[in-house]
Amino acid sequence: MSKQVQEAYIVAATRTPVGKAPRGMMRYVRPDDMLAHVIKGALAQVPNLDPSRIEDAVVGCAMPEAEQGMNIARIGVLLAGLPNTVGGVTINRFCSSGINAVQMAADRIRTGEADIMIAAGTESMSMVPMMGNKVALNPEIFAKDENLGIAYGMGLTAEKVANQWNVSREDQDAFAVESHRRALAAIEAGKFSDEITPLEVTYRVPNLATGEVELIKKTLTTDEGPRRDTSMEGLAKLKTVFAAKGSVTAGNSSQMSDGAGALILVSERILKEYNLTPLARYVSFAVKGVPPEIMGIGPKEAIPAALRNAGLTKEDLAWIELNEAFAAQALAVIRDLGLESANVNPQGGAIALGHPLGATGAIRAATLVHGMRREGMAGKYGMVTMCIGTGMGAAGIIQSL
Amino acid sequence: MVQTANIRRVAVLGAGVMGAQIAAHLVNAGIDTVLFDLPAKEGDANGIVKKAIDNLKKLKPAPFSSAARAEHVAMANYGSDLEQLKSCDLIIEAIAERLDWKLDLYAKIAPFLAPHAILATNTSGLSIGKLAEGVPAELRDRFCGIHFFNPPRYMYLVELIPTAHTAGAQLDALETFLVTRLGKGVVRAKDTPNFIANRIGVFSMLATIHHAERFGIRFDVVDDLTGPRLGRPKSATFRTADVVGLDTFAHVVKTMTDNLPNDPWHSHYQAPAWMQALIEKGALGQKTRAGIYKKEGKDILVLDPKAGEYVASGQKGSDEVKAILKITDPAERFAALRASAHPEAQFLWACMRDVWQYIAYWLGDIAGCARDVDFAIRWGFGWKQGPFEMWQAAGWKAIAAAINEDIAAGKTMASAALPAWVAQRDGVHTPEGSYSAADNSLKPTSSLPVYERQIYPPTVFGDAEPVYGETVFENDGVRMWLRAGDDVPVLSFKTKAHCVGPDVLAGVQKAVKIAEERFPGLVIWHPEAPFSVGADLASMGPAFMTGDFASIENMVHEFQKTSMTIKYSQVPVVGAAQGYAFGGGCEFLMHCARVVAALETYVGLVEVGVGLLPAGGGCKEFALRAAREAKGGDILASLKDYYMAMAMAKVGTSAEEAKEIGYLRESDIIVFNANEILHVAQSQVRALADANYKAPIKPKAFPVMGRSGAATIRGQLVNMLEGGFISKYDYFIGCQIADVVSGGDVEAGTLVDEEWILKLERERFMGLLKKGKTQERIMYMLENNKPLRN
Repeated sequence: MSKQVQEAYIVAATRTPVGKAPRGMMRYVRPDDMLAHVIKGALAQVPNLDPSRIEDAVVGCAMPEAEQGMNIARIGVLLAGLPNTVGGVTINRFCSSGINAVQMAADRIRTGEADIMIAAGTESMSMVPMMGNKVALNPEIFAKDENLGIAYGMGLTAEKVANQWNVSREDQDAFAVESHRRALAAIEAGKFSDEITPLEVTYRVPNLATGEVELIKKTLTTDEGPRRDTSMEGLAKLKTVFAAKGSVTAGNSSQMSDGAGALILVSERILKEYNLTPLARYVSFAVKGVPPEIMGIGPKEAIPAALRNAGLTKEDLAWIELNEAFAAQALAVIRDLGLESANVNPQGGAIALGHPLGATGAIRAATLVHGMRREGMAGKYGMVTMCIGTGMGAAGIIQSL
Repeated sequence: MVQTANIRRVAVLGAGVMGAQIAAHLVNAGIDTVLFDLPAKEGDANGIVKKAIDNLKKLKPAPFSSAARAEHVAMANYGSDLEQLKSCDLIIEAIAERLDWKLDLYAKIAPFLAPHAILATNTSGLSIGKLAEGVPAELRDRFCGIHFFNPPRYMYLVELIPTAHTAGAQLDALETFLVTRLGKGVVRAKDTPNFIANRIGVFSMLATIHHAERFGIRFDVVDDLTGPRLGRPKSATFRTADVVGLDTFAHVVKTMTDNLPNDPWHSHYQAPAWMQALIEKGALGQKTRAGIYKKEGKDILVLDPKAGEYVASGQKGSDEVKAILKITDPAERFAALRASAHPEAQFLWACMRDVWQYIAYWLGDIAGCARDVDFAIRWGFGWKQGPFEMWQAAGWKAIAAAINEDIAAGKTMASAALPAWVAQRDGVHTPEGSYSAADNSLKPTSSLPVYERQIYPPTVFGDAEPVYGETVFENDGVRMWLRAGDDVPVLSFKTKAHCVGPDVLAGVQKAVKIAEERFPGLVIWHPEAPFSVGADLASMGPAFMTGDFASIENMVHEFQKTSMTIKYSQVPVVGAAQGYAFGGGCEFLMHCARVVAALETYVGLVEVGVGLLPAGGGCKEFALRAAREAKGGDILASLKDYYMAMAMAKVGTSAEEAKEIGYLRESDIIVFNANEILHVAQSQVRALADANYKAPIKPKAFPVMGRSGAATIRGQLVNMLEGGFISKYDYFIGCQIADVVSGGDVEAGTLVDEEWILKLERERFMGLLKKGKTQERIMYMLENNKPLRN
């Protein structure tokens, strides 16, 4: 058990709908605008809170360059209309950046140095692609064989995990089909409506005939990724792209996406002062390293560590949001740890819902917090966990209230 | 000047296999093209055309010279878009072979045709004259037949069939357009059933089928004997039928059955019973994956016509007959075939004999002269020599006597006597012209101005030998020559497949020197494809055996010096390319002041295939170009596609694709008719010289990516290696190329010169050459003519 001077509570959590990248519905929405949008959306859930008392905003972003550069956290804070006194720090641990933001924000409160924190994540993979705009590897990586794994693409690491943990192509495809099925069922049941702050977008379409720019306005409320036409037969036809004789395809991998999520964390003092209803209590976090060439297995180490930090066992977890970077690694983790499948991604995962890298942790935290409340899981524990490029796993635990 | 500007926009009616592919080739040629078909009953009204274009993208061999061309075919339908015809200068009708449907369509479109527009039908079987009778009167003098061959991008032949009404000027304009803009070989045909090529080509196939049955020759053996061994395409007889489609073949035969009732061969104008049976079963050939041949798993089966069953294929002709076919003297060869008692020999003789009898009998009726027959069969059926040429080369009189004997002996398919003119002549092709049986005269080649662009037009056996100028300079590898009255010399390689060995290297350097002293420039051109298959690996053999690597390194150095001599020549060196330009051939082109390439030029730095890397300046040019294109920015962004092209030995399968990859430059010129490249290349030399050509300025220093760039590329390679896409040795070679194009073990942004990269090319080339796996690859290529992956 960790030492702390006070608890950290989540009082607001929201996200954008998630769009497909690079040609989806949010391809022209800047990541700093998405960030400002979710910060405003989170604040709207706690209208009584005095924004000037917010200490800092910790924002995860996996490729913080170009449109996502220039300390996007601070820019997002200002674009959201927060006072100049509110800080902003951009943090990066690739795919766990969003949950790391929650952890860092919570820890600022738990040490007693802050009372109100924003935790967020934002990523436009349409604008800043995976690996960024300019890849420049260190020649030292190739000097020793043991470092070669640093150069492995994520898909290749998934192939390695599939091999090492014997995850078949059929199982991966079936897992993908189930992810889409669950996501669509959740969408149809309106289960994401509490957490999504609808996003107004304007498409500027040049009309070549008239020479005018037509403005088409839309309000986006629903995730773009889930497909109704996903089937075992359809997925079986897809070619493997990362290994000639492999099993990982575009269909059983997470989708590239655009999206953002934000949460507001406060101390008990603030709960009382503003008479806020806490949605959840922050419990614990852990990160663990694994060999880079099997990075997908990271959660296998991180999940028990986070449970240990919290003094819990896996049976205490009522809901796990396990990022589906690849069906291969998700299945390997689920099987290896003996997780209860029904409790893992009950509303679908990244294969269907998308994976906007550094935003995913914050987005899925919003899903978890609202989902557990809706399902009447007060007092129960939930987790957000994921694997991380170059070989890590992260896991964060909350308690629904 | 050749006038073709009057055909700027073309409509193709009918998005079937031929129509859609014709539209694709028009678009390849940069012609504004609109493709019509019926309005779709539901959904997008242009749905039928859209689907046809989508299918074109998947078709092999590719109808488009670049995938990007597909979107330039404009889509239309007869329901709502007939107005679009008003702006078209040429309308090519390619709908189903039904006279009534065609006439209905003509009546429907007539009000929308511009007063100058030409209407041409791509029918292969219907009578143009009969169609003309139904064509609205105001269109009649602008109507003719235009018969493309499948696949239209690749088949050189187009038959033009005028009617009695067709205006000469329209026909000339059309021929000019086809020849220079679309790059086709035009033969004007008479309006007789199946015109020239299909009439004779299909008869030849029927004769082959007939005699195969008589002599009991298996179909796979027939194909072994009637393919390249006889100077015909690999698909030979039965595989050709499968590719064409047995239903289509039967349809063409039926045209002859129906329309040639009094023909002495009429009883043979029918598809054999076994073929009818296949058609009824739906086994139509390649398009239905079963026909005369059938692929089962990895095995290819062939039909046994007697049993009506498929049997294992792959049987070859007998050694005895194959030996006869190797006899170089055609007179001896055919005499030997006739004299042999072997059924395969008898079969081959009978096939040729009946075709000869047939073409002699019909020449006057179907073609303007014998040359047209030979060109039609060469360009439409891929024979190396036309049937009249073969006859004449084998001895006109002797063959005629043999045919007469066989007719008298009742051995021929029909008893029709050879026409009288045969006995009166010593051959059909003469330097003065080719024989016309219709008016008993010799016909010179066309005097249309467009043919002036073909300095060395295609010839037939019996024509005057082409004269390749006076020698300016010659060694064992090259000849530099100049035509009388010309000012631009030509350098031709004398080596096999125009490969590059020490003599060629020395020869090119010398020729450039001479050109600098005495001429406005130099064209590198050879009378036939390929441009060059690259370095002469075999010539390295002796040095290799004795371990004399110093002499090989010296040759590599000479290679680089030659490329640099071409590039920094004081006068423009223009490469005129067609066919393969691989390895060193590609590198020469990359160093030319300009390249004039036929559309069908296949370009690639394919050294990886033999375990080497481009060391004739190929890596250097790409490194330099990438640095320039980056303009101070990210060099890798510009270089990565060039790098991948080299590392994957990527070949551009048209001059257009070669430009997209970067082997050819934007300023290089694509010419559609390969027979025009010399003319255009010489014009380019003159134009460049006239613009006070100056050699490019040697870059003093340009930036390279250095070791971090090489590492980033290596990261990609590691993924390909670990993913099982490349072998360990591919990875090793890939790393070598990465190091060379990155400038070696230097920091990013380091400034180097061309010599720096050339030195790296040499060092890494020699390093690879000393590796066992590279040597295995080279030996394998020399022995099997295909690359080894080890």
